[in-house]
Amino acid sequence: MKRFSTLLTALCLSSSIAYAADVSVEQPYARATAPGQANSAAFMRLVNNGAATALVAADSSAAEVVELHTHINDNGVMRMRKIEQIELPAGKTTVLQPGGLHVMLIGLKQPLQEGAQIDLNLEYADGSQQQIDVPVKRVAPAAGMPMQMQRQSQGGE
Amino acid sequence: MNTQLKTLKILLLLTALLLTGLTLVLKLQPASVEARIAQGDPRVGGDFTLTSATGPVSLSDFKGQVVVLYIGYASCPDVCPTALAVLTQALGQLDQSQREQVQGIFISVDPERDTPEKLAQYTAFFSPRLIGVTGSKEAIDRVVKQYGAFYRRVEMGDSALGYAVDHSSRLYLIDRAGKLVDTLPHTTSPDALSLLLKQLLANQG
Repeated sequence: MKRFSTLLTALCLSSSIAYAADVSVEQPYARATAPGQANSAAFMRLVNNGAATALVAADSSAAEVVELHTHINDNGVMRMRKIEQIELPAGKTTVLQPGGLHVMLIGLKQPLQEGAQIDLNLEYADGSQQQIDVPVKRVAPAAGMPMQMQRQSQGGE
Repeated sequence: MNTQLKTLKILLLLTALLLTGLTLVLKLQPASVEARIAQGDPRVGGDFTLTSATGPVSLSDFKGQVVVLYIGYASCPDVCPTALAVLTQALGQLDQSQREQVQGIFISVDPERDTPEKLAQYTAFFSPRLIGVTGSKEAIDRVVKQYGAFYRRVEMGDSALGYAVDHSSRLYLIDRAGKLVDTLPHTTSPDALSLLLKQLLANQG
C-alpha cells in the first residue's frame, strides 16, 4: 500500500511537471517605457502542447504588481479589463499581443529600457510555475499582424 | 426530417431577428467621425487650444503643416504606445524635409495623471515631432466632441491600476489648411500612414 501511494505521488508529480513543461513560451518581450511611465506590458506566444490549462497569475521583480489583462475592441473603443485567467486550450497557441491579451506590469521599479531583460514567473491552473527571461523591446507596430494571426490559427496542431 | 425542418425554421427566424436588431443598433448610433468626414460635415474637427509643457498649443499654430492627432492617455500601457509607434515609424519613412512638415499631437484625456511635463517626457520618447497636450475636463471634452472621439474613466476596483480609461483609438489626419481629412485605426501599418502623409504633404494647399 505504501509503495502504491509512493507510486501515485510520483505519478502526480511527474504529470504536474509534464503539464508545466507542455506550455512553451515563444517570443516573449516587454514594452520599453517612456521616462516616468509607471506601467508596461509583456507579450508572448504560449504554445500548449499538453492538456487544457490556463495562465492564472504572473509576477516579476521589475514591477510592484503583475496582472493579466485583455483589451476589448468595442466598435473602435478600446476597453482594457483585468481578467482572472488566460485560457490555454489543449494543443493551441494563445497569443498575447498589443491590443489584446497581455501581462500587465504595474508600478515599474524603474523604466524598462530597450535591451534590458526582466524576469517573469508564470503560474498555471495546476499550480505549476515557469520562470522566463523577457527581453525589453521598443514596441513593434501591428504591421503584418493579420498575416501572423492567420498562420497561428492554421497552425493549431 | 420533420425535426430538421423545424430546427431550420427556428434558425432562420433567429437570424432574421438578429439582423433586424443589428440594423436597429446601427441606425440608432450617431454618425461616426469617418461618415461625417465623408459627408463633408463642416462641424467635424477644427481648431482647439490645450496646454503643453511650454505653454498653450493650438491646432492653428501648425497651419501649413500636416498634423497627426491622437487622443489617449500616457499610462495606457498598450494601445496608445502602439499607435504612437506606428506614427514614429511612418515618420521614419519620410525624408527629413517632409518630416519637418509633419506635427504629431498627443492629447491626453487623463489630466489627473498626465501633467504637461509628464506628457513632454512621454512624447519625446516616441519622436521629436510629437508634442503632448492636455487641459481642463471642459477643454478636453470639447475637443473630444469635435473629433467624434470617446473616452470614459472606468473604476477598476479589482486592479492595482485603480482606474483605466476606455477610449476610441484613432490617428486623425489634418491637412495643411487645418481640415480633418482622414482617420486611421491604431492597427494601421506604418506604410499606410506614411503613404497618406506623403499625399497630404504633396498637396501644397
